[in-house]
Amino acid sequence: MRPLKIGLSGINAVDNPGPGIGVARSLKEDPDLQVQVVGLAYDAMEPGLFMDWVVDKSFIMPYPSGGGDAFLERLLYIQQHYGLDCVIPNLDAELPHYIKWARTLADRSIQTFLPSMEQFRLRGKDRLVEIADRIELALPETRAVTNLEGLVQAIDDLELPVMVKGSYYKAHRCHTLPEALTRYHELVAEWGYPVIVQEVVSGDELNVVGLGDGAGHHLGLVGIKKLSVTAQGKIWTGVTVRNEAVLEAADRFVRAYQWRGPFEFECMVQGDRVNLIEVNPRFPAWSYFATGVGVNLPARLVRHLFGMPLPALPEYEAGKLFIRYTYELVTDMASFQKAITRGEVP
Amino acid sequence: MMQKLSRLAVSAEGFVFNPASGDSFQVSATGLRVLNALREGQAEDQIAHSLAETYQVELEDARRDVAEFCAALKSFGLTS
Amino acid sequence: MKMPYEKPIVTKLQTGWMNKYGRTFAYARKVRTEIDGVGIDDLVGQFGSPLFVYSERTLRRLYRQMHSAFSTRYPNVVFGWSYKTNYLGAICALMHQLGSWAEVVSAMEYQKARALGVPGEKIVFNGPHKPRAALERAVAEGATINVDHLDEIYDLEKVSLQLGRPIHIGLRLNLDAGIYPQWSRFGFNLESGQALEAAKRIKNGGKLRVHGLHCHLGTYLMETAPYQRQVEKLVGFATDLERTFGFALEYLDLGGGFPSKSRLKGVYLPPEVALPSMDEYAETIAQALSKTLPPGEFPRLILEAGRALVDEAGYLIATVGAAKRLADGTRAYVVDAGVNLLFTSYWYKFNIELDREVGGMNEHSVVYGPLCMNIDALDEGVALPPLARGTRLILSPVGAYNQTQSMQFIEYRPAAVLVGERGQVDVIREAEDLSDITRRERVPTRFASPPQTGP
Ligand SMILES: Cc1ncc(COP(=O)(O)O)c(C=O)c1O
Repeated sequence: MRPLKIGLSGINAVDNPGPGIGVARSLKEDPDLQVQVVGLAYDAMEPGLFMDWVVDKSFIMPYPSGGGDAFLERLLYIQQHYGLDCVIPNLDAELPHYIKWARTLADRSIQTFLPSMEQFRLRGKDRLVEIADRIELALPETRAVTNLEGLVQAIDDLELPVMVKGSYYKAHRCHTLPEALTRYHELVAEWGYPVIVQEVVSGDELNVVGLGDGAGHHLGLVGIKKLSVTAQGKIWTGVTVRNEAVLEAADRFVRAYQWRGPFEFECMVQGDRVNLIEVNPRFPAWSYFATGVGVNLPARLVRHLFGMPLPALPEYEAGKLFIRYTYELVTDMASFQKAITRGEVP
Repeated sequence: MMQKLSRLAVSAEGFVFNPASGDSFQVSATGLRVLNALREGQAEDQIAHSLAETYQVELEDARRDVAEFCAALKSFGLTS
Repeated sequence: MKMPYEKPIVTKLQTGWMNKYGRTFAYARKVRTEIDGVGIDDLVGQFGSPLFVYSERTLRRLYRQMHSAFSTRYPNVVFGWSYKTNYLGAICALMHQLGSWAEVVSAMEYQKARALGVPGEKIVFNGPHKPRAALERAVAEGATINVDHLDEIYDLEKVSLQLGRPIHIGLRLNLDAGIYPQWSRFGFNLESGQALEAAKRIKNGGKLRVHGLHCHLGTYLMETAPYQRQVEKLVGFATDLERTFGFALEYLDLGGGFPSKSRLKGVYLPPEVALPSMDEYAETIAQALSKTLPPGEFPRLILEAGRALVDEAGYLIATVGAAKRLADGTRAYVVDAGVNLLFTSYWYKFNIELDREVGGMNEHSVVYGPLCMNIDALDEGVALPPLARGTRLILSPVGAYNQTQSMQFIEYRPAAVLVGERGQVDVIREAEDLSDITRRERVPTRFASPPQTGP
């Protein structure tokens, strides 16, 4: 069988890493899957472009936020000139585009495995109330603000410290108003409106990465706790956990919404009380952690999508460690130059 | 002008690297032609003439564009 | 044969900008040679540049879509055309022909609606400033009046006394529907009990009857959920009014706020994917109404959509007057239309199309207007190929709030034309000239002699 050519984005393995490299490594590590990884990059400096042992071929993509058909045309170009059987988008900002075009892409034989637009909208921080109600979890108080007046009002209501979050990415714990203001401006500049202000709840932050089959069943769930995070709040070290309350909540989520595709489920656990913090409709940047403990979700996604046999779901062990580390790559300008002038590497 | 320009690494596809500063640039097809001509030491006016001979452009417009291109090189610190 | 020419360009590669395709301009450049079949060249040739162009086809389509979205879900829907959004006579007249009432927020707008032949009973009179004379006229002509504050209640009681008959009014409320900031400066606050207090005051006065509720949450609401909360709260309050004071609800006016496909600055997603469809708004509202209203009761549902009905129908054609390079190397263009005509460019990023194919590499460019003010920038970061003088930019959508908020500052306001469904072009506002600026001015005679030439 010819190898599957699988496009994936988020190959920006930087200090705030995208999920792409972890997903790519997972695909490559399934011994029975023949995969060629097609990196879809938005900047000529995304490290994945240079990591030829993980990413076989890369293309620079037009920004999806440009709207219009350029994005679609580019995918079709890649399909024609290199081959593209499937795309796993890993960045929040591009998901709605892929969701909107899922049918069109499928008609051209480019598969995706994504939630519906309606499911996708659920991740909106104001819709969390609805999810929390439906799967019987608690929810920290949350406000979506679009200007300073709103920010100040929200902080008044919720009382410091508060979490200040971007509508797509990033979360900061702020202890003072000036700190919140600074974060607010940063978030607006980078991710636009609204900015989310949330009550700080204490407890253990436990996260789950999972994959729903679209018919109410999950194809794997792995729970972890972040032991240390970077200044940007990204996991640096972590440990697998088996917290039944949280895993069951994630399962209820998949069942209740017939979730289709990968997701990350973030909770704050305080004794018996499980607070829902966030649902991300994509693989998290630490997806390789699950692969490392035997639950290779990206590979299971591809197998499920292409009707290949799914190995029985292995039990994972609690207490496995995740250690992220830095590593350097020295190369000449050839790949960079190709990315700039031709928009593809190599 | 020449000295700084001659140190640049310029690829046939229009990728330009300034080894002194570490900056990279991109030039359009005509930009590449103008840049290479400058590196050979041609005068702006001479370059404008050759553009007007090769392309569908009035000499006056070509002069203005070459001058603007040179101003851009200067603003990027590629010429002194 | 000589080769086609492109300007020579050099751009610096900067992290975050190292994308072959540019940030907003796709590699397929956006070219627009016509609007509804009429050439950009023809339009400018005949009516000059800059030029506002409205599409009748789009106006009708937007109206039809929104109207059917709501009227297929609720039996008693009325649109009140929000004059402030765009009160060009032709646009208002078209809206009225399509069946809209007029929604006005000042004495001027009221007069304009009447002058266009709208009867008083088909005018909704809102706004925080309704002079006594305007109120008297509106009452006499049977307009729907939504009261903003207590002083207006006192005024209306006096009018009632004068006329010797009770007056029906609506109350404008502000409430928490999860929108921040809450537009709390208009109307009576619901949650604090202010609205109930006002109703009590009205009841005790004995001269006014509350027969409707109004609430406009804000503009460009990107979610449907706030409308659901709005309906629930309004109907809940109406029930209280009926039970406590015996005021029967005849209408619910939900205001406007439905987004147009314009792109709010700072919102990462383009509107096509970021915004719910009109059907989703209609569905949310209709469901909330059917859940909360007593069975079989269908009070009139008034919607004051502004931007959603007109924004996408408006274009502004502008012409590149100069190309320059800023001190930091950034490419900049000066065009003949700026924030004087496109006031909303402070908040929205317009779609910029070119009237012709232009070769060459995209550059990060700034587009400035003609004003002598630093803030006059239409777009501070758009990827454009090298543009020659005389290239036309077509900016859209600009149909909402630009015409009405445009200002005459150092430039004349341009003509506005409407392209009809069969491609006919009608001038709907002539270009201004000096007489428009001087007509209302008076120069005291002692200054009348002009300066002498010579030393
Ligand atoms: C009372 C009222 N109604 C309707 C509108 C129209 O709003 P939109 O254009 O957002 O639909 C406005 C706008 O400010 C308003 O103040």
